[in-house]
Amino acid sequence: MSRIFEMRDVTFAHHGGPVKVMDNFSIAVEEGSRTAILGANGAGKTTMFYTLTGVYRPQEGEVLFRGEPIEYTKEGLTKVRSEVAVVLQNPDEQMFCSLVEEDVAFGPLNLGVDRDEVEQRVDKALRDVRMSDFKKRPLQQLSGGQRKRVAIAGALAVHPEVMIMDEPTAGLDPQASMEVIELAEKLHLQGITVLISTHDVDLAYGWADAVNVLRKGKMVFSGTSEEFYSDAENVHLCGLLSPATFNMNREVSDINGISPSPYPRNVSSFLAKFGGGQKAGRVFCVSCNEGDIGDRYEQAVREAGEDAKIGIYGTDTRYALTGKRVDYYFDGIDSCFSEAVLGRDSILFYDSVYEPLLKEQADTLKGFGSDVGREVIQ
Amino acid sequence: MTQTLLEAENICFSYEKKDGNVLDNVSLRIGKNVKTALLGANGAGKSTLFSILNALNRPGEGRVLYNGEPISYRKKDILRMRSEVSILFQNPNDMLFRPNVEQDVAFGPTNLKLPRDEIEKRVDDALFAVGMSEYKKSPTMKLSYGQRKRITLAGVLAMHPQVLIMDEPTAGLDPQMAYEVMEIAEQLHCTGVTVIMSSHDTDLTYSWADEIHVMQHGRCQYSGAPEEFYADKAAVYRAGLLSPSVFLMNEGLSSIGKVEREPFPRTQTQMSAKIANNRSGKFGTLHILEVSQDTDITSLIGEKGLEGLSTGIYGMAARRAHDFSKPAIDFMYNGPENCTMKCMAGKDSVLVCDPIMTDSARKSAEFINEGGYGDIRIDVIRQ
Repeated sequence: MSRIFEMRDVTFAHHGGPVKVMDNFSIAVEEGSRTAILGANGAGKTTMFYTLTGVYRPQEGEVLFRGEPIEYTKEGLTKVRSEVAVVLQNPDEQMFCSLVEEDVAFGPLNLGVDRDEVEQRVDKALRDVRMSDFKKRPLQQLSGGQRKRVAIAGALAVHPEVMIMDEPTAGLDPQASMEVIELAEKLHLQGITVLISTHDVDLAYGWADAVNVLRKGKMVFSGTSEEFYSDAENVHLCGLLSPATFNMNREVSDINGISPSPYPRNVSSFLAKFGGGQKAGRVFCVSCNEGDIGDRYEQAVREAGEDAKIGIYGTDTRYALTGKRVDYYFDGIDSCFSEAVLGRDSILFYDSVYEPLLKEQADTLKGFGSDVGREVIQ
Repeated sequence: MTQTLLEAENICFSYEKKDGNVLDNVSLRIGKNVKTALLGANGAGKSTLFSILNALNRPGEGRVLYNGEPISYRKKDILRMRSEVSILFQNPNDMLFRPNVEQDVAFGPTNLKLPRDEIEKRVDDALFAVGMSEYKKSPTMKLSYGQRKRITLAGVLAMHPQVLIMDEPTAGLDPQMAYEVMEIAEQLHCTGVTVIMSSHDTDLTYSWADEIHVMQHGRCQYSGAPEEFYADKAAVYRAGLLSPSVFLMNEGLSSIGKVEREPFPRTQTQMSAKIANNRSGKFGTLHILEVSQDTDITSLIGEKGLEGLSTGIYGMAARRAHDFSKPAIDFMYNGPENCTMKCMAGKDSVLVCDPIMTDSARKSAEFINEGGYGDIRIDVIRQ
C-alpha cells in the first residue's frame, strides 16, 4: 500500500503564536485504510484535519498528499480538495445554502461537474444518508442529526478519494451512528481512504485497521488498537479508556489462563472465543443489488427454516425489507455470524457492495476456531 | 413501593400549533432516588419532555406533578421548584451567561440568596467535582467545548438540587471525562438526589440506570427495567436504538446454556465474571478503604498493612484526599470494577472510597458472590 497522506515534523501555532497546537507532529495514512484518530478533547485532532487538507499552513515541517508536498496556491489546494472531503464535527460550519439539495450540490458544482451528473450524485448521496425525503427542505428546519447527515451527503457527492469525518457519530442516535459506520465501510470497499476521529473507543475498536493517538498536539501512538490498549499507562495519559470488548477479553483470558490473542473485536468473535466449541451453523446469504430482493425472502426462509433469525446490513436492503419479519435490523453481519457461532442457522440480507465484509468476518471467526458455512441464495 | 417524585400525566405539547404535537399524551412516573434513563432517537421528544418536567415549558394538555402536587406555574412556585429540580442542557452554550467561571457557577446559589461563605464553598466544591478548580478565574469564552460542559455541570451541582435532569451529559466528552460525569451522577444518587439522564450511549445507560423510559415520535413507549425492553427486538428497532453489547453477549451465551440468563450482567465486570471459570477457586479480598477528604491515603494504607496491592479510587472525598497527597493509584477510572476484577483473578485489591459510595462500590462483587461466580471477601474498613 502507498501513503496517501503524510505529515513530517509539523509544527503549527495559530497566527504564529506561542501555543503549539501541533508540535513536531508526524503521521502516515495508508491509501485505502480505515484509520481512527483518537485523543482527549483539545488533543489536536481537528487541527490535524485542517492541516492535512491545507486549510492551516504549518510553520515548520511538511504535509504530503500522494507523496507530493501540498502547494499552498489556489491550484494546489483545489487539487487536494477535489479528492479529499471533510465532514466537520459541527455541520453548521460547512453549510452555506438554504435548501438541502443546493447544499449537497455545492461541492460538485464548484469542481465543475456538469448539472445532470450533479443531480444524479445529489439523489444518490441523499439516499445513502436516508435523507431523500428532505431534498427540497430548508436546512434550518432540520435537526442536528439530520444536518449532520446532509453534511455527509455533501461530502459523498464530491466522489472523494479520501473521506475525513470529525466525530461523525457525536449527537447521533444509535441507529444513525450505525448507518454512518455502514457508510464508512462502503466507502472503504470502494477503495476510498477513510479517516474518522471519535471519542467512542468501542466503535473505533470494531472498525479501524489502524489507530493514531494524539496527546497535547503530539502523535503518541500509531499502530494496532491492541498494542495501544495494552499499555494502560499511556491510555490513561491520553485521556482515554480501553474498549469494553478489549477489557473483557483480557480479564476472562487472564482468569482462564489462556492467551488474550486472538483479540475479539465484536460480539460474534467474542462469542466464538468464549462460547464456542459447538459445530457452527450456516449463514444463508442474500445479496441485494440496489434493494432488488424479488422472491428471495420467501425462498431464504424456506431453505433456512422458520426459526432462522434474519439480519440486515445496508441501507438499500433495509428499505427493501420494510414490513417483513426481521430480527436484526442493524449490524446484521455481526448478529447473523453470532447466531452461526452459537450453532444456529440464520439469514443475512445485505447490499451487494458489502460482500467482502462477509468473507472478512468468516475468516476472522476461523481464527477463533469457528468455521461458519455460507450458503448463497441466488 | 418507591415513592413517585415527578410525574407526567397525559402530557401533550407543541411549540407551534400548526406543527403538531411534539409530545403526544405522555405519561410517566419517576421514582424518588431511582436512577432513571430517558432513551430515544434524535427528535423523539426527550429534550422537550425535560423542559416540561422542569417547568420551562407548560404543557398544552395534561399536568406535571412534583411530590404529588401539580405544578402551579405561578412565578414564585416555579422558582421554588427550580431550586430543587435542576436541568443540565445538552449544549453548554445555552447555559453560560457570566463572564468568568467563578461567577457563572455562583449564579444559581446567589439567586438562592445564600450567605457569601456558603456560596464560595459550593463553588469550590463544584469546580473540584468537575476537575476545573484551576480555571476558577478564567473567562468562560476561552474554554473549550468539553470544559464549558463541565462548568455548566458545576453550575447545577452548586445548586444542591433534589432532582438533577441531565440531557446527554457525556456527548462530546472524551472517555475519561465521560466516566467522571457518570461517577458524579452516581455520587449524587448516593447522597439521595434523583438523577434522570438521557443518552444515546445505550451501553453506558445500561450499566447505570435502574429504570428506563423509551420515547418514540413524542410518545412514551416503554417504562420499566431495561432487559424486558431490549428483549423485544422489533420495539428496539422502532425506537431507533440498539441493544447494549453486554446484553447481546449474555443473550447469546445463555441461549446455548453456557451461562444462566439471569441475573442479567449490567457491566463488563459482571459479564466477564459470568463467563470466566476460575478453576483455582481462589478469590481475592476487596478492601474498601473509606476515607475523608483530609485522609493521608499513603499512611492509611501503610497503617492497615495494605501496601503493594492494586489500588483504585472512587468518589469525591477519595478524589479530594488523592488530590492532596497524590499517592500512586492504579485505577483512577472505573475503580470498583477494576478492583473487583483483580479479586476475580485471585488477587487482593484496595479501593480508596468515599464512605457515601461504599454500597455502590460493593455492587459488582456482590453480583459475583450472589450469582455463585466467585467468592470475593468484601472488607469494608471504616474510620
